[in-house]
Amino acid sequence: MAEGQSSVQFDDVVQSFRVIRERPDTLREFFAKLARRQVAYHDFEALKHVSFRVSKGEMVGIIGRNGSGKSTILKIVAGVYTPTSGRALVNGSIAPLIELGAGFHHELTGRENILVNGLLLGLSKKEVLEREERIIEFAELGDFIDSPVKQYSSGMYMRLAFAVAAEVEPDILIIDEILGVGDAGFRQKCFERILKFKASGKTILFVSHDTATVRQFCDHVLLMNNGELIEDGAPDYVIACYEELLGQVTPSTSS
Amino acid sequence: MGELFRDTYRYRELIWALALKELRVRYKRSVLGFLWALLNPALLMVVLTLVFGTIMRFSIDHYAVFLLSMLLPWTFFSQSLAYSVESIVGNGDLLKKVRVARLVFPVAAVVSNIINFLLSLLPLMLLIVLMRFPLHWTWLYLPIPMVGLFLFTTGAAFFFATINVFYRDVSHIVQILLSAWFYFSPVIYSLDFVPAKYRWAFQLNPMVYVLNGFRLGIYYGMLPSPQSVVMSVACGVIALLMGFAVFRRYQNSFVYYV
Repeated sequence: MAEGQSSVQFDDVVQSFRVIRERPDTLREFFAKLARRQVAYHDFEALKHVSFRVSKGEMVGIIGRNGSGKSTILKIVAGVYTPTSGRALVNGSIAPLIELGAGFHHELTGRENILVNGLLLGLSKKEVLEREERIIEFAELGDFIDSPVKQYSSGMYMRLAFAVAAEVEPDILIIDEILGVGDAGFRQKCFERILKFKASGKTILFVSHDTATVRQFCDHVLLMNNGELIEDGAPDYVIACYEELLGQVTPSTSS
Repeated sequence: MGELFRDTYRYRELIWALALKELRVRYKRSVLGFLWALLNPALLMVVLTLVFGTIMRFSIDHYAVFLLSMLLPWTFFSQSLAYSVESIVGNGDLLKKVRVARLVFPVAAVVSNIINFLLSLLPLMLLIVLMRFPLHWTWLYLPIPMVGLFLFTTGAAFFFATINVFYRDVSHIVQILLSAWFYFSPVIYSLDFVPAKYRWAFQLNPMVYVLNGFRLGIYYGMLPSPQSVVMSVACGVIALLMGFAVFRRYQNSFVYYV
């Protein structure tokens, strides 16, 4: 628990994707194109030499325009992507709040989904069952917990997904633009939960377009633009840079 | 290979939950639910018995039992492949979200079909008793051919699940491959029916060895020769090694293609 111990550290991370123009989805197309030498690749760098460090217990906001590489950073932290070059160090367990409920199956009940999702997030069956009551309570689902999730409203769905991920109690929580859902009351509850999380010394990475929230909660902020990390500093300063960037009318299409 | 066993053990609860989920989804919203796992093969058996016992009479005594002794393991094999070929692509959303050992998906697809297969043996036993066909003690030996069958199926599942990520044609190819493979395997007939000059070609088919023990144990009441046992387990182990090697080689790329 030493002060300044790093929780996430990126050293010169490059993440490139091989984009095949008109990727052949079928063998026939592939051979047809190969024969005509038309399999055209180009490498797209979603992250260009990004380095930063997040200390244990910090809440760090990542802002930037769409397609600037924010979510790519989170996916590397989550271990979904492997950096093309550079080093990404992550110390501790992770719970992703990205595309909540991706592992839910519509035909299964809320309770059945809690088990499958909890196991997917790395809990043991025993741990899931211990947390089940708290998850149901937090999600405010009541009797719906034993109905198939396809009958849920989108708000109920999100609440359940958030509740499961929050109960995983990871060392690092990654949040990608998810708090736009649910009513004000539940959003408030989610934030309280996140703050409680922060108070207990856990690390949080937070991607959002909502600069007011970022300013309010984050300790420092990373600003991404076209895959490059252009600012890393105090929220007020970085958000001002971001607003200036948004104000520039010339879209950078040169690259 | 160590990775395969370590991760299968480590994620056993997840694999089991995913396998049960698959079965639940399969029988969800049907009045009889899980009973279909028993009823489905039972009804098929009744039909086969009627057809081959009264309408089409073969020189093989109790043809229905002869057929089912291999048809059930074959059905397990083909259904496992049909499910597992889509197992990575179908869970693409999940792979993009969380870091989870990717092998759990094809393995869970096979495990759910193992449950189905084991359940389907119960109506077969019942049928055998009702037909006054002897229920041979060699049934007790069936776990040995099952090892070969399950390993072989898992290996094939890894292989097809992997290549389907890159070329979605594979799920269609598998369907055609399976039906061709079915007729070229001695399931509905016996290897003895094959003219001697073609028999060598059949001996190249691994399913011949993998399925052999089932018919011997269930229909003939015999134990396979030691060579035959070795062949069936060897086919399973080799298929698993090859299938998992391919899977392991490409698993880190899955997320970019699903």
